[in-house]
Amino acid sequence: MLLSFAQWIQFTTFFTDLRGSANVYPIIMSLHMVGIALFGGMILMTDLRLLGWALTKRSIADVVNQFRVPKRWGLLLTATCGILMAGSKAEEYYYNAFFRTKLILFAVVIITELVFYRSVYANPAALDRAPSVPANAKLAAALSVLLWTSIACCGRGIGYIEPPLDKIHAQIHVNHAALLASRDPYSLKGQDHADVATTN
Amino acid sequence: MLLLQIESIADTLNSSEWVFPIAECFHIAAFAWSIGLIAAVDYKLLGFGIQHSKPSEVLHDTAPWTLLGLAVVLLSGPLLFLSDTRMYLHNPSFVFKMYALAAAIIFNYTIHRKVAQSDTASQGVRVVVAIVSLALWISVVFGGLFIAFA
Repeated sequence: MLLSFAQWIQFTTFFTDLRGSANVYPIIMSLHMVGIALFGGMILMTDLRLLGWALTKRSIADVVNQFRVPKRWGLLLTATCGILMAGSKAEEYYYNAFFRTKLILFAVVIITELVFYRSVYANPAALDRAPSVPANAKLAAALSVLLWTSIACCGRGIGYIEPPLDKIHAQIHVNHAALLASRDPYSLKGQDHADVATTN
Repeated sequence: MLLLQIESIADTLNSSEWVFPIAECFHIAAFAWSIGLIAAVDYKLLGFGIQHSKPSEVLHDTAPWTLLGLAVVLLSGPLLFLSDTRMYLHNPSFVFKMYALAAAIIFNYTIHRKVAQSDTASQGVRVVVAIVSLALWISVVFGGLFIAFA
């Protein structure tokens, strides 16, 4: 079911064009990275404040509220670009163990957000009134650092798994040769992987 | 002689298939951290997002952590580079990235720092400095990603 959905979505005109475009795809990937930069640092800063390791002179409410809006814009940019990339190679991603792990981690992030929303994120002023940062806020922050770092690493990992070429129906465009080369540190030495990409 | 040494470093780095990806993860996590914090200052200079504090305070709060992130970036980056120096040196995106990075770091610790520290700078100056800063760092990220596509 998921596989047929992946096949359907990648063959929509929009995603077929996106996949075939030599320039748009890397630009979307770059914007994905820019998005990560724009909100990753702010997530970490918020978490470090909750853990009591940074910005301790500033109130938790200030830090949480200050980064909230910029974080959302960064997340929006990252998620949009991520969906565009995944959609254009949905079938390949379906088989990718790192992509699957990443999706599971997203589910875990959403669950932890829901669990801690009321007690931590929705009411940071209450955390300031407590004599020390409550344990559940620290737990939320530690989980956040761990999960988001793992998600970033899984995202990079996606590129290291060679797609099962015999199962993929999408035409892999020429630029994929460079992408394949970048996946494997050994192959950076030569462009001899070009034949891999053109066999499909 | 130097070339031989670089070759042996590259061999060591390439001897395990995990060294490169792990260095990459550190590189990505750390650039997200440092650039994200520089962006926090830029947002403040642009006049949105961060309330209740002056640009100088945001800079003061984030600067040590930005520096830590940059240190990790500048330690993991050369590891990636040394795994295959010849490929990188011939890669136009890599060369562009190095120029952009040098410009971004110099700008960050001179003009950007000065304007962010000065609570009396005019709004026009602040906006220009924030836009230049964001543009420089975004160029670095683009340059890095396009290494794989050059």
